[in-house]
Amino acid sequence: MLENLPVLSLIIWIPLLGSLVVLFLPGYNARAVRGAAIFFAVVPLLLALWLYASYEPIVGGQAFAEQGTWLSVPLNAEAFGLHANVASYRLAFDYRLGVDGISLPLVLLTGVVAAMASLASVHIRKRWKTYFTLFLLLQTGMYGVFLARDVTLFFIFFELTLVPMFFLIGIWGYFGREKAANRFLVYNGLGSAVMLLAFLILIATLGFSSAETSGGTELIFSGSYDTMLANLKDPNAAAHQNSAMFLSENLKWAAFVLLLVAFGIKLPMFPFHTWMLKVHTEAPPAVVMIHSGILLKMGAYGLIRFAAFLLPVQLHASSTVLAIIGVVNILYGAVLACVQKEFKLVLAYSSVSQMGIVLLGIASLNETGFEGAIYQAVSHGLISALLFLLVGSLHERTGTTRIDELGGLAQTVPFLSGILLTAGLASLGLPGLSGFVGEFLSFLGLFSSMKALTAVGVIGVLLAAVYVLRSVLAITNGPLPERFAGLKDARFVEALPMVVLTALIVLLGIYPSLLTDLMQHGFDGLLKELQTRVGG
Amino acid sequence: MSMLASYLTLAAVLFCIGLYGVLTKRNAIIVLLSIELMLNAANLNLVAFSKYGVVPSLTGQVFSLFAMTLAAAEAAVGVAVLIALYRRRATVNVDEFDELRR
Amino acid sequence: MATVFSQYAWLVPAFPLAAFAILTAFGRGWSRAGAWIATLASLASFALSLIIAIERIVSNAEDYVGGFDWLRAGAVNLTAGYEVTNLTALMLVVVTLVAFLVNLYSLGYMGEDERMTVFFSYVALFTSSMLGLVLADNLMILYVCWELVGVCSFLLIGFWYRKPEARAAAKKAFIVTRVGDLGLLIAILLLFWYMPDHALDFASLHNVFHTQSGIISTSITTLIALLIFVGAVGKSGQFPLHVWLPDAMEGPTPISALIHAATMVAAGVFLVVRTFDIFQASQAALDTVAIVGAFTALFAATIGLAQNDIKRVLAYSTVSQLGYMMLALGVGSTTAAMFHLFTHAFFKALLFLGAGSVIHAIHTQDIREMGGLGSRMKATAWTFGIGVLALSGIPPLSGFWSKDAILSAALEKSPWLFAVGVLTAFFTALYMARLFFLVFTGKARGDAATYARAKDAPWTMTIPLIVLAALAVVSGFVQTPMSGWLGSWLWSGEAKEHAEGVAIVASVAASLLGIYLGWLIYAKGTIRRDAVSSRLPWLVKLLERKYYIDELYELLFVRSLRGLGKALAVFDDVVVDGAVKLAGGAVAGLGRLNTRLQNGQVQTYGLVAVIATVVLVLAIAGRRFW
Repeated sequence: MLENLPVLSLIIWIPLLGSLVVLFLPGYNARAVRGAAIFFAVVPLLLALWLYASYEPIVGGQAFAEQGTWLSVPLNAEAFGLHANVASYRLAFDYRLGVDGISLPLVLLTGVVAAMASLASVHIRKRWKTYFTLFLLLQTGMYGVFLARDVTLFFIFFELTLVPMFFLIGIWGYFGREKAANRFLVYNGLGSAVMLLAFLILIATLGFSSAETSGGTELIFSGSYDTMLANLKDPNAAAHQNSAMFLSENLKWAAFVLLLVAFGIKLPMFPFHTWMLKVHTEAPPAVVMIHSGILLKMGAYGLIRFAAFLLPVQLHASSTVLAIIGVVNILYGAVLACVQKEFKLVLAYSSVSQMGIVLLGIASLNETGFEGAIYQAVSHGLISALLFLLVGSLHERTGTTRIDELGGLAQTVPFLSGILLTAGLASLGLPGLSGFVGEFLSFLGLFSSMKALTAVGVIGVLLAAVYVLRSVLAITNGPLPERFAGLKDARFVEALPMVVLTALIVLLGIYPSLLTDLMQHGFDGLLKELQTRVGG
Repeated sequence: MSMLASYLTLAAVLFCIGLYGVLTKRNAIIVLLSIELMLNAANLNLVAFSKYGVVPSLTGQVFSLFAMTLAAAEAAVGVAVLIALYRRRATVNVDEFDELRR
Repeated sequence: MATVFSQYAWLVPAFPLAAFAILTAFGRGWSRAGAWIATLASLASFALSLIIAIERIVSNAEDYVGGFDWLRAGAVNLTAGYEVTNLTALMLVVVTLVAFLVNLYSLGYMGEDERMTVFFSYVALFTSSMLGLVLADNLMILYVCWELVGVCSFLLIGFWYRKPEARAAAKKAFIVTRVGDLGLLIAILLLFWYMPDHALDFASLHNVFHTQSGIISTSITTLIALLIFVGAVGKSGQFPLHVWLPDAMEGPTPISALIHAATMVAAGVFLVVRTFDIFQASQAALDTVAIVGAFTALFAATIGLAQNDIKRVLAYSTVSQLGYMMLALGVGSTTAAMFHLFTHAFFKALLFLGAGSVIHAIHTQDIREMGGLGSRMKATAWTFGIGVLALSGIPPLSGFWSKDAILSAALEKSPWLFAVGVLTAFFTALYMARLFFLVFTGKARGDAATYARAKDAPWTMTIPLIVLAALAVVSGFVQTPMSGWLGSWLWSGEAKEHAEGVAIVASVAASLLGIYLGWLIYAKGTIRRDAVSSRLPWLVKLLERKYYIDELYELLFVRSLRGLGKALAVFDDVVVDGAVKLAGGAVAGLGRLNTRLQNGQVQTYGLVAVIATVVLVLAIAGRRFW
């Protein structure tokens, strides 16, 4: 039924359509606005699920790929000097979408978290219409990032997430919202600038292909990811084009470092993490769900998609450095999470720690580690979305999320406390819940090459137990302060996303093959490159 | 030295005097007058080129006539604005007209 | 021989898991009905386990392995499988039996608790994961269940969540055992990359380390074995990770019996038995196990002498007895270790449940406030007494046979280990005698009114006591110096019996001496109770404060972590964020500098424009000329 439709485009643009629809709804009718927003968030999720059901790892995602000409600019041939066999030059940016074993898990994650976050947006008390318009726009950007197969398109979608996010933090956040929004924009804007530079290097030096036209051979520069991959694999690519233009080693390193910084900021990688602390504490919970659940994963995705796949030699050469940064992330985040008094900050630092595991997975350079990194990204997305959902519900009831002010909530809100405990256990990597699998695979992957470093990183798992139990037990157990005696437990609309997320966390923990099977052949190309280029 | 060069030199001197007036004088009327000087320096150039240029033609002189009328209109508008400002602020000192910045 | 019932072994953990699911999903508001569901589920598990065990005893059935693909990722291809051998069959019976009895007991003990359903659902989850641990056919699944039992233990210790002590104890239990778990995790990572084909199942481990030893170098083998042992140390409360187990007594008493005496803490021993091929390949690892075990046995027994909380005495006794089992493993006798695990499960569960009855009756745990309860609580006193004798190793009760097996094995290896074992037996008998006489004989020292109301518990609580007492008496006969049935059944005829006359005499003498001394001090009063404390007050204080280990750890780990955290927080704020602020500040400063130019004076702008034009013209002209 859906085979003949451009499913990927639908997934990306339906939220945008929703955003327009919401714009034309009467603003005073909160129910209609919210209902429409939820509807337009759920439809892409259903499409993503259909994608999941019909995706076959062995075949890959070619069946779903979409391609169309979008921007084509003839270039002044004289600027390039005259080449013997090239008649004209052209700059082409195409509309290319694709999906594979790496992006599909993240698309699913986006669908789930976005749908749940829109349900969780009941806490939003003002300007629903603007809120949901931006919220749906943000979703378009996120889907686009994971589905784009052209660096220009990727960049545009990447930027598309920044703007709505800025307003979502700045308008609906807590006390220090403006500052947090500014910090967010400046940091990520910087990251985007650096990323753009890297992409320009890639387009100019790697993204060329030639076509025969009536006037002679035409050399086309494009941002197409597949072209880049093909050029990289083709040993004659450099010779067959103007060799000066192909990526020199220095340029490759420049591009790699730029990409590392750009996506490192998003991930966040130590020492670029301070911006996300502010966002975690000041943004509204539903927005942090998206932010911590999906936006951080764009960093991991970008690192794998561009830094790893396009520059495997550089990745190999810097794998030790990456692993060290990863371990620093894990331990630094974990130790700091152990001493925070604000629950949101505990979660923020724990995100730093958890994303360090993703770095370890990438640094491992083997399939186990890569799959572990993606698994960890998905799992952490679900878990942190759930945790911030709970933060929202707790804050709504108690007016605070400080650990030293809360306590004994298991007596009045047993459901919320139970879910909180489950989410906490998942985030400390309890087997049987999803957190463990990503962690285990990443460590396992890295262990084959860097044993001592992995062993140090594993200490992070212990510290995770310390900070999770310390904060969760302080909130749920112990004596109940007088003023929280009459709290009401979760309403249905709050409980629904919690139950869904918890169920997914348990499901992925019990039967991880649900996700790992998808990724089976996703890394084949990269692994082959690594093998041929660096001999293992 | 050809005729053209002397005309051009005169125009350049006039332009520089005007520019100096525009940049340094505090009295708006003087500034306005200096602008007129600069315009007329340009007019002088046009006329000079139309007479002694590579391709002499009347177009340059017609152009300068247009420029003069425009300058007159501009001066009228400028003075009108100045009068309005003077009524409001009781001064024609340009240093004090920085409301946009506040 | 066909293994009919072994194929269905997966049902054994499935029953309690189903009970857990049902209770969690629908159990709100149910009270006794939910509890009965859990109890019946555990009964079903027990029945099936018993059938499996009998089938295997009667027919000498072959091992059965089954499972499904669990995780495929890169080089990883793990199955979730179960394996039924005689060893696992034995453990199934022990676990399900104790679980069933504890469920039954809890019907009475937890009868008035408003969160009874939650309690029973946790117990069901624990039972299920413990059975999963027992049945697991590879280390990975074992690790998963290993962590799950840990979390259930954590949940149940913190069950009375209003008490801050319970919260602290739960947290401590989880974190301290996690230290051990990390060892096990790293051992698994090591094994994964060193084993041929990345196999983690026990059959392959046996192949690699036993049948074709030498594939993996000795140093790596030792490392792996020691890391696995670290896991076992954490779970089984061995020194230096024993600190969590006594604190775990904050949980409800049936939990102490089930988890912290009979089953979960024995998982460490079970793990070592399961991976014993690795240990056998490394003498250094075996020696470590023996020394740690012997030291823990003696160390915990001495602490047990000076504790005043009835459950803590039993907790230290558990630590000490687990040390015995480790000692047995260290000297190479898996039979003795499993045998002691088997008998210990019964008499220690019995002692805890008995203690639970006492606490249930008089609502205090301090033995200085008890006394004379024997006449009011006859059934409890008798069964508890049997437990005491069994634990002390008085023939012909079960504890005697198993302890004797261990001591005989130790004597074969080293007289020193044997001496430590005998000394421990003496202390064990002494503190158990102290406990028994202080609680059940003499005059009541506590509140008279409470004492008058004290009586035996309802039948649901008494029946488990009686069943366990009976087992504590007879379960020793499966393996006596005369017939090594258990050993030959477990290892299919490989085991040899250890019977040393010296060992029997020494252990019985030590036990009798301990009980006699206890009787003299605490019942008869011939020796004054403060005979030691008046002369060596520091020694008593040292024992009472558990050798200040907790304080040491607090200083060493908790404070230093907190200090490091605070320091890093400052670093994060000042240096990392400071750099960011500095960068931001620099840009802002530059901007401020530039706003100077934007002073609103058209003339200034004009000047700038003119200068810029002149510079531009000069530059262009200059370029033309050079």
